[in-house]
Amino acid sequence: MRQIITKRLSMLVLVLLGVTLITFFLSHVIPGDPARMMVGQRASEETLQEVRRQLGLDQPVWVQYFTYMKGLLAGDFGSSIRTQQPVVDDLIKFFPATLELALTAFIIAIVIGIPIGILSAVKKDTSWDHAGRFFSIAGISTPVFWSGLIGILVFYKFFDLLPSSGRIDLTVTPPPTITGLYLFDSLITGNWTAFGNSLWHLALPACTLAFAQLAIVTRQVRASMLEVLGQEYIRTALANGIHGPVLLFRYALRNALIPTITVVGLSFGSLLGGAVVTETIFSWPGMGKYVVESIAFLDFPAIMGFTFVISFGYVIINLLVDLTYYALDPQIKE
Amino acid sequence: MKRRWSSLFTSSLLVLSLMVSACSSTPASQSQGEAKPAESKPAEAAKPASTTPADTLFVGITSDQGTLDPAVTFDNSAWKITYPTYQRLVEYDGGTTEVKPGLAKEWKVSEDGLTWTFTLAEGNKFSDGTPVTAEAVKFTFDRTLKIKKGPADVYSVIKEIKVDSPTSVTFVLSKNFPPFLSTLAANYGGIVNPKVMEKEQNGDLGQNFLANNTMGSGPYQLSEWRKGEYLKLTLNPNSSVKPALQNIFFKIIPDATAQRLQLEQGEIDIAEGIPNEQLKALKDLPNVEVLQQPSLFVDYIYVNSTKGNPALQNPKVRQALSYAIDYDALTESVQEGYATQMRGPIPKGLWGYDESAPQYKRDVEKAKALLAEAGATNLTIDLLYSDNKAWWETEALALQAFFSDIGVKLNLKKIAYATSREMIDKGEFDLAMGVWSPDFGDPYMFMNYWFDSVNFGLAGNRAFYKNDKVDELVRKAASINDKAEREKLYKEAQLITIDEAPYLYLYQKDFLLPVSKSVKGFVYNPMLEGIYNLAEMSK
Repeated sequence: MRQIITKRLSMLVLVLLGVTLITFFLSHVIPGDPARMMVGQRASEETLQEVRRQLGLDQPVWVQYFTYMKGLLAGDFGSSIRTQQPVVDDLIKFFPATLELALTAFIIAIVIGIPIGILSAVKKDTSWDHAGRFFSIAGISTPVFWSGLIGILVFYKFFDLLPSSGRIDLTVTPPPTITGLYLFDSLITGNWTAFGNSLWHLALPACTLAFAQLAIVTRQVRASMLEVLGQEYIRTALANGIHGPVLLFRYALRNALIPTITVVGLSFGSLLGGAVVTETIFSWPGMGKYVVESIAFLDFPAIMGFTFVISFGYVIINLLVDLTYYALDPQIKE
Repeated sequence: MKRRWSSLFTSSLLVLSLMVSACSSTPASQSQGEAKPAESKPAEAAKPASTTPADTLFVGITSDQGTLDPAVTFDNSAWKITYPTYQRLVEYDGGTTEVKPGLAKEWKVSEDGLTWTFTLAEGNKFSDGTPVTAEAVKFTFDRTLKIKKGPADVYSVIKEIKVDSPTSVTFVLSKNFPPFLSTLAANYGGIVNPKVMEKEQNGDLGQNFLANNTMGSGPYQLSEWRKGEYLKLTLNPNSSVKPALQNIFFKIIPDATAQRLQLEQGEIDIAEGIPNEQLKALKDLPNVEVLQQPSLFVDYIYVNSTKGNPALQNPKVRQALSYAIDYDALTESVQEGYATQMRGPIPKGLWGYDESAPQYKRDVEKAKALLAEAGATNLTIDLLYSDNKAWWETEALALQAFFSDIGVKLNLKKIAYATSREMIDKGEFDLAMGVWSPDFGDPYMFMNYWFDSVNFGLAGNRAFYKNDKVDELVRKAASINDKAEREKLYKEAQLITIDEAPYLYLYQKDFLLPVSKSVKGFVYNPMLEGIYNLAEMSK
């Protein structure tokens, strides 16, 4: 086990190196000049050069890259061109919001998706199955910007039950930052007003994001359950008088979960990165919104920081998925 | 067995319904909380115009702010925060582009235009109580020039600033620059509290601090900034101005539809991010009005008068093109009618605009006759444009149709923005699309940039137009400080440049703002687009 982790961690370094290299050069070959954006269209050439010098943009791209990497190794993501703040400060502010949204959506997707998947498999080709499949196809084929807006229209405009934007009311003081996850922080500090309010704000965006993920979970669980249920050991178990939930959960689900974990785990990675649209619709102050604004401003350090954090998260999740895999299936050894 | 399955199904249904209820229940804290629409039902006819407190204004903005340092930011959207939190030596007067006394109660300029002396009004204080002195004025401009970013470029004409007394300060310029006064009313003219130096880090002159904080003497101060969520302004306790609005929230709502819904529900009072095509629907709402005013943002065509197709060197051909366009149909199809046809180079709303100047109207016969006189039959010309503006494609097609009516074939050449800029700079085009908006409220921004032949290329004279008389007129207007005299000179130059048509003067885009009917006292100033005169507003 330790060997696997060491191997995977060394791969992680390589992957991240590749990511920084590609992102850096890609974002720098895009035509457009952040210095020009800062000084305005009609600034003189001297001012433009001075600002380029201040930002280090007058150096050749590879020199800029090495300077950046040198900083990165020391934990310095550089300063954002747009906000003039260290990128790391911005990421610390925005990442927890994205994580909270993605985690909640993930939990909703699993808690609802797995039972529906099981039900679909067990009641194959009945109206239960059709309903379950319809639900999941609807989820996967509905774009988030649309389901989000419909959610706002119904729950905010017509019923006035849920807020349409933000993490917490303007009048409610957020909990003190411990993890940056409002739900968690308010829970452990016993701040129930903040807890209720942030849960209330989280509901609509999280459900919207979960709706799309749900489809993936349901389909995967259904498919693997069907496969497992058709296997001989299940028939043997049935012949031995084992049936019902014991058969289903202890015998079938455990095996069916292995491929599911891979798919679901990786989909969590895409949840993190894919929260961009959801964040925009719900004015959720997360990283997605931050990076969209940064891209519009050609804010290289911010774009790099975002990509780095997302790739890091993705790689770590990958690793966790594999470890869970080993834990679930003792047969899989190197 | 059957029963087991159904119990399983029941339990999963239970989980589902729990989730749904978690997704839709309103926590108790909220229902007792601050003003929400009173039990609003969709069918309710008379909705209150605003459901928020009367001393608090909520403005929906589309993105978070970058730096707020007046010596750094060149981004108009940051100015809506900085403008009401700082004061300037002079201020724009109401809705006009002329200036009135601000921190300076009076000023005089020397005969040669090189020395400007300002006398400060007494009693103005920064938000920490420090009085605004001549020292602070000198500090501000010295700081901007040392920081050497965009705003420094605007003030590069300043040679030296002298403090004559605590209430008198003199600017020495390196050359006569009549629009100087106007540049002082812009955002970068905001006077900064010299105490910012206590916050300096690594010799940054306080740039890091002022990126996130304000230190001015305006009626408001930035009291809270929750990144990605909102910026909150509260009153400057030391200001002599006592505004009706005590708190201003700039709420960041990137999605246009979400903004629109919040405006409809009365949760925000002003929505900045709603695109034109959605505005027509808003006009029918009982609690919202859409303010509409011509902006100084103009859309026009450069007609290459020296380096392009030789036929274009003849003013008659350029006039013919100007007569071919159906301006009303163009603004209707391209800007949903939210635009005003230009009369000449100086747009409506800027001083120097000439109400009596001739304006081109579609006249196909006249255009054909002019082409015949010029001997330009079977003319084929290229139109260069890029994807810089979303509406350019439609505009190009409209122009193609108009020109074909007078027998001119227009080839559309759409290329990447960066490349198009290079080609325009070198004059490698026949016709090209462009937009322009002024940095300061002076016709100099149009007349000298667009027509002075020293500005060939991207610098401003993008038509490569040269007329000795026009050169003389605009240069003279830029060398004297008598406003009436300057206006006369610009008027004369304008008449020539309308007649010779080196540009096709299309339209000024309208400034549109959906506002709750409960908001009172907002005055639109074309030089301060997106900036609110918060201190005079109420609800």
